[in-house]
Amino acid sequence: MLYIHQISCVSPQQTFLDADLNIFHESVENKLKVIEPTYEGIPANNLRRMGKAVRISVGAALPILKKNTPLNGIIIGTANGGMEDCIKFMNQIIQYNEGLLTPGNFVQSTPNGIAAQLGLSQHNTGYNITHVHRGLSFENAAIDAMMLLEEFPKNAYLLGAADEISTYNYNVDFLGGWYKKETVSNKNLYEVDSPASIAGEGAVMFLVNAEKTKAIAQIKAIHTIHSEDVNFVMQELKLFLEKHLKNDAPEILITGENGDNRFLKYYKAAEKSMDNKTGILRYKHMSGEYPTASSQAVWLACNILQTQTFPEHAVKRKSANPPVKTILIYNNYKGVQHSFMLVSHPE
Amino acid sequence: MGVISAIGNTVPENRAALKTGTCGMHPLKHLSSNFADKMPFGEVNISTEDLKKKLNAHEKGVTRTSLLALHALQEALKNSALTSVEIQSKDTALIGASTVGGMCLTDEMYKDANLHSGGSEYLSSYDFASVSLYLQHRYKINGIVNTINTACSSSANSVMYGARLIKHGLAKRAIVGGADSLAKFTINGFNSLQILSSDICKPFDEARKGLNLGEGAAFLVLEKEEDCAGKTIYAELIGYCNSNDAFHPSSLSEQGDGPFLSMLGALNQARLHPQAIGFINAHGTGTENNDAVESTAMLRLFNNEIPDFASTKSNTGHTLGASGAIEAVYSILNLQHQEVYGGLNFTNPISTTGLIPVQIYKQKEIHHVLSNSFGFGGNCSSLIFSKV
Repeated sequence: MLYIHQISCVSPQQTFLDADLNIFHESVENKLKVIEPTYEGIPANNLRRMGKAVRISVGAALPILKKNTPLNGIIIGTANGGMEDCIKFMNQIIQYNEGLLTPGNFVQSTPNGIAAQLGLSQHNTGYNITHVHRGLSFENAAIDAMMLLEEFPKNAYLLGAADEISTYNYNVDFLGGWYKKETVSNKNLYEVDSPASIAGEGAVMFLVNAEKTKAIAQIKAIHTIHSEDVNFVMQELKLFLEKHLKNDAPEILITGENGDNRFLKYYKAAEKSMDNKTGILRYKHMSGEYPTASSQAVWLACNILQTQTFPEHAVKRKSANPPVKTILIYNNYKGVQHSFMLVSHPE
Repeated sequence: MGVISAIGNTVPENRAALKTGTCGMHPLKHLSSNFADKMPFGEVNISTEDLKKKLNAHEKGVTRTSLLALHALQEALKNSALTSVEIQSKDTALIGASTVGGMCLTDEMYKDANLHSGGSEYLSSYDFASVSLYLQHRYKINGIVNTINTACSSSANSVMYGARLIKHGLAKRAIVGGADSLAKFTINGFNSLQILSSDICKPFDEARKGLNLGEGAAFLVLEKEEDCAGKTIYAELIGYCNSNDAFHPSSLSEQGDGPFLSMLGALNQARLHPQAIGFINAHGTGTENNDAVESTAMLRLFNNEIPDFASTKSNTGHTLGASGAIEAVYSILNLQHQEVYGGLNFTNPISTTGLIPVQIYKQKEIHHVLSNSFGFGGNCSSLIFSKV
């Protein structure tokens, strides 16, 4: 049983500390960059040495770490970790023709640097792992946390995900046709009928344990699929809901619709398979598209369960049955990696 | 099991080379780098083109890392006699690990990332997950698929993760392992940290000067005991633990907290006394820091009664994200054949710890083997395999 007790999200929107999703930040040149926190208490020297992915992860984790809750381990999902450092080091290799290089960027570029830095800052010698399975990095990290909490029900873990927009991954994914050629504002992301999406980034952290009391939410179930076959994915969705919700319908479906018209068919099929009363929300206009964006959907689900409100700009179809107790998240990354996550009120 | 490394392309070839104390380290033949003849490397002796032909892997964008992984996976699947129905079943998991992924193509990636090209065929092959995703697609694996990167302990963690998926009923069988290929990226990275040795590495020797990089891949098929009726069982995974040294991004603490805790945790899970360990496949990279710290941690845990131990890094080089899985295969060979392989190039023990590794091949009765993998970021993992 995985219960979420604290949430913290550094994203392109007003999600950190005093969350207010009615304030809407627009994308610039097809990029939604995070609003960086103030990093209270972290020496400037340490901050300068950190790459962005590490820095925003530390920033997102701070409100959780500040409460001094004992942690038994750190579980992070990130597709790429510190990509900016990676390309900086690669540029050094080519430009100096494999000459004398400084190791700073190399050490910062390893994706396990996020979990390592968090472990180091807390002197946490517990379980420490980094899942890097592209669009399912966060989901695999969450499955890991669910297993750990069954193995050690008295433990608490920091579960999180982060990825950054770097020159490198933006260029490579742009060439790969994953970011739009024309400039599109996130305000109109779902109205443009063209392939590709806009870039995003973020760091989301959760304090999780097996304790139901005072929890914000529970991640009830996660299912992941590798397939391009929309019928297979929908068949799996049906089985997933039958298994975990019996005959109940979730009050809300949050989809990963991202303005890429090639993948609309998956989301339309998922919407069609829902009960008419289920409300439909979207979040990629807030987060942008990136491999661990689904962690922001889980943050949003927790926020909705806590406040019973959600911003108007996220609504695709209104929910006809409040209060919101169960939220289904369906995300797909690049049309191949799909996930269903069921987030529900702990009661 | 399946394995490919600088000392052989299959499990039997690797075992034969370990028995005769073969060192697979040479100047680079297949990767172009300024360092090619300046230091030894544990390079797999097949060109990328020949690997493609041999494996009939002509898909666009396939990298050397994925090809090495496919080579080892093919051997493991053949050896396991899993049917294609079983491989494609929803309860078959595939857990890979890599720290280089497609970055072995450093030059191509440089061009793509800096928009010096219209886009190469490798655009979706650079990341770590590209390796598992390639294998998933090729074999149509329908269960949980994952990729882990905890630096040099990555594939020890994929073994752990697969075992835990089975334990929790999230998979009936798990194909676990890892792959890394030599890359300008890692060669220059480790060189900038000044931990590459210009000579062949000397694990646990007082005069050790650093590590040699290698490449390779290994995969293992894990199943529950009750599902193994009528099948060959090579060993049982009875203990594992992951812990963090929480000391420094690229070196281990003097007292070796992370290594000590990962070995202790694995012993506790296996419910074994330290004395039950018959052999330790040490991480033993040949760096100043690792070998001293690993020795200290072993002395702490084994109370000065250190079991036989050695490192195979002097045979294969340090294969980074693949090393945990490759050495899991070697540990299982220790048990299966009741033999230990000597570490190469050892002359004098480290003055502060005085530990002497096994240096020549010998047969001995072994019930349990402990295999260590420690990485950057303080990521330490230990596995214990037992004779069945």
